[in-house]
Amino acid sequence: MSQLTVDSAATWKERLEGRVPPHLTEEIDIFETQIAQKRQGKIDDKVFAETRLRRGVYGQRYDNGQRHDGTASRALEYPCGDLTKGPNTVWDAPGMLRIKIPFGAMDAEQMEALADLAEEYSDGIAHVTTRQDIQLHFIHIDDTPDIMRRLAAVGITTREACGNSVRNVTACPLAGVCRDEPFDVSPYAHALTYFLLGHKDAQDFGRKFKIAFSGCEQHACGLANMHDLGAVAQVRSTGNGTRRTERGFRVYVGGGLGAVPHQAKVLREFVREDELLPLAQAVCRVFGRLGEKRNRARARVKFLVAKLGIEEFTRLVDEELAILPSDDRWTAYLDDLSITDEAPTRPPATLESGPRAEGFAEWLGSNVQRQRQSGYVAAAINLPLGDLTSAQLRALADTARRFNGGLVRNTVEQNILLRHISEADLPALYEELHAHGLGEPGASSLVDVTACPGTDTCKLGISSSRGLAGELRKRIATSIRTTGVLADEAVKDLRIKVSGCFNSCGQHHVADIGFYGVSRKSDGRTIPHFQVILGGQWTENAGSYGLAVVAVPAKRIPEAVERIAGLFVAEREKGESFQSFIARVGKARVRQLLDDLTKLPTYLEDRTLYSDWSDPREYTIGDLGVGECAGEVVTAVEFGLSAAEREVFQGLLELDRGATEAAAAKAYEAMLQAARALITTENIDIGTAPEEIVGEFRIRFYDTELFFDPYAGAKFANYLFRVHGDAETNSSEEAHRRIEEAQLFIEAAHACNQRISEIQAARVA
Amino acid sequence: MDMESAQVPDLDTLVKFDLKVLAADATEVEAEEFIPVFHRWITERLLPELLIDVADYSHVHDGPGVLLVGHDAIYAYDLSRGEPGLLYSRRHESGADLEGIGSLDDRLRSLLDCAYRACDLIEAEPQLNGRVAFDRHRLELRVNDRLFPADEKTALTLAGAFQRALVEAGVRDGDAAVEVKRIGEPRERLTLRTG
Repeated sequence: MSQLTVDSAATWKERLEGRVPPHLTEEIDIFETQIAQKRQGKIDDKVFAETRLRRGVYGQRYDNGQRHDGTASRALEYPCGDLTKGPNTVWDAPGMLRIKIPFGAMDAEQMEALADLAEEYSDGIAHVTTRQDIQLHFIHIDDTPDIMRRLAAVGITTREACGNSVRNVTACPLAGVCRDEPFDVSPYAHALTYFLLGHKDAQDFGRKFKIAFSGCEQHACGLANMHDLGAVAQVRSTGNGTRRTERGFRVYVGGGLGAVPHQAKVLREFVREDELLPLAQAVCRVFGRLGEKRNRARARVKFLVAKLGIEEFTRLVDEELAILPSDDRWTAYLDDLSITDEAPTRPPATLESGPRAEGFAEWLGSNVQRQRQSGYVAAAINLPLGDLTSAQLRALADTARRFNGGLVRNTVEQNILLRHISEADLPALYEELHAHGLGEPGASSLVDVTACPGTDTCKLGISSSRGLAGELRKRIATSIRTTGVLADEAVKDLRIKVSGCFNSCGQHHVADIGFYGVSRKSDGRTIPHFQVILGGQWTENAGSYGLAVVAVPAKRIPEAVERIAGLFVAEREKGESFQSFIARVGKARVRQLLDDLTKLPTYLEDRTLYSDWSDPREYTIGDLGVGECAGEVVTAVEFGLSAAEREVFQGLLELDRGATEAAAAKAYEAMLQAARALITTENIDIGTAPEEIVGEFRIRFYDTELFFDPYAGAKFANYLFRVHGDAETNSSEEAHRRIEEAQLFIEAAHACNQRISEIQAARVA
Repeated sequence: MDMESAQVPDLDTLVKFDLKVLAADATEVEAEEFIPVFHRWITERLLPELLIDVADYSHVHDGPGVLLVGHDAIYAYDLSRGEPGLLYSRRHESGADLEGIGSLDDRLRSLLDCAYRACDLIEAEPQLNGRVAFDRHRLELRVNDRLFPADEKTALTLAGAFQRALVEAGVRDGDAAVEVKRIGEPRERLTLRTG
């Protein structure tokens, strides 16, 4: 066959050989092995669930094998039978893949890869999230290793996109071009992303940990106040009588939305740039050590800060900082802060007057803002509900290549920003975007409603946030076209944000008008509702949180929005903000305004209220599942033991193919990993050198007899000592025996871990 | 097995195809109208396969419209390229190992059967009052797996098999087989179109 080329391969692993960095190849191969092990029942459900979550492989609605069709819950009989990929999660059920996009930055090649993956494995849609990630839905778990390989080949990882880990590090999408920032936070977000990715101090959390960077205090682009750790750029005088300044950050800790929102507290007024990474590491250590592990509802760092008080939390962080082993990576990145720089590819030029395409002026007014670089602008693409097709993503890659070298940033408002656009290119840019359905005006305005996935795909969704958001977009657009109340200049820039439940993934607390899904009983049936949240502040990095006013049936929310907007338009004082207006008129007044909307008709009087937006089924909360936002609490030692099991499994495969030396080496490595996992319970800084591991194991677990089996005594520990003294062998019989011994050693390590847990629990009791 | 067959994916292992039956010109229906229709198909199990959920992307420009997500395949009232139609996107061959999925001709014939069955159901759908019709001669077949080379040899092989499947399904141009041609840019998935 004449067309045979390097690209002709039977698997993606072969096709991409040499194009995926070796460490990522190994990580993904390991995950593929874990999938194979789970299929064979060799990994515990809980451990596998957290393992896949830390690879970004998330559950989706109906993955428990049940679906309510409006009258009854029915079984979805997947071909996999009883095989599961986590507690109560069916193997074959479609899932979501969350793809980390650090600070939202994507290049053209990455966009094209995402477009390909969305078509081939998902539903043809790439979804931009409120944390600048990309999500693909309806993914089969068996496809995930290949997807990860294809992403890794263009420099993207899904690692730690979900689970109890450091999630995507977000940043203001205007970083580097904003007129208000003292400096570009992008390289710092980049450095912290890769410093904490897989870091040993960030593997033992009770819940997720979110970090955000902002370039300034006053705008909302980075939302630093509502994150577990927020860093806001600052410069200060070096104070030695010169005009010299130094870069740093005001660092916040303990912010977060969720069911119980907390405003972040200032951890440090000013942290020098060279102190940022160790400070973040110390915070991770305190959170990992003292954060709640059992009560999932109180396991975020915000609860730890609230419980200890910011002074005590700060003291503990200082204590950790003082004992942190020095790490060159803390400052190495400072030598190359240009790593995230984006250079314009077109010359700066002002926009001249001339004939324009229809809609250009409106788009220019709402979607384009000037950069601090003279002659350049940033243009936002207003994505409906954060969605775009593969074809649009590919077209966007082309457009970006033509106008700015191929770079974009995802925004926390589920849009995409094209930066470094020469002003003179705007008419041509608009025409290209418009041709692909990407030229909608109204970015970051009332019509640009944000929504989490809600009941569309989320297991925790109570009401249809996307259904409501889609309906609101339509009605607001119509009102603007027909100069209705929602076209009024006073409400133009208000933000509406919708969450499907109280967990606030749609960030309803920081919207001018926010909603979160609830349900109410009436007439013996259940009606989808949304709580109306007012008083939140989007600006000043999510400066204050709104409160619930009243619950309104989902189908009446558009009417509620019109009434609230109408009241504001009619009664606001000159220059009065929406937050000030709500504070002045009072929530009781708003509640009264909406009171009639809360009166529920009987089912026979009006059935429409008994179903949700974009879903004709009679409403039920019967599809609510157990969410995976919280991940599974799997301790570092359990992960370590799981890694040891994987190693011994690989040893078995080596043995099967007759590679006795490799098999024996894997058995030895498995025992070392299991021993090291146990040691981490007492010494998190344990290294990876065999001598150190065996020495520490002897002192901590052998001499203390903690590892001793109640019946077999020191037998299993001696397996490790023996092989450590004589690691190499090419005897097939010996290799076989070592594999068996490694398996027994790992079992003994599990038992030892269990005994330690029981001892600790008894002490607490 | 020689070197070539070890490295180049054989079309006999290809299972991921998209087949779109374009709507007739007279069709006037909004994509959202398919939401209740597809939900009812799930409830009443109108197709002989596992159907899981409905996804609404009618808000996206030239997008996948409204989807009926199954385990083996996704059905959609698809709006891509600005041309409405019934899209059948096969993802898995449920319960069959690669020995059991049949020949390429068999698989293409099965695709046609599945897509046409969905078209029949939609055209007879009471909630749509006969406002949707499909032109069963206007089809797009796409290889939804980039592991397979999108070269001329593949295109020719696929086109031949597709024509045979169409003839078997009774889709002809008079007495002749319908013409099949390749469309789209080289970077797009390999796509064939009739007519």
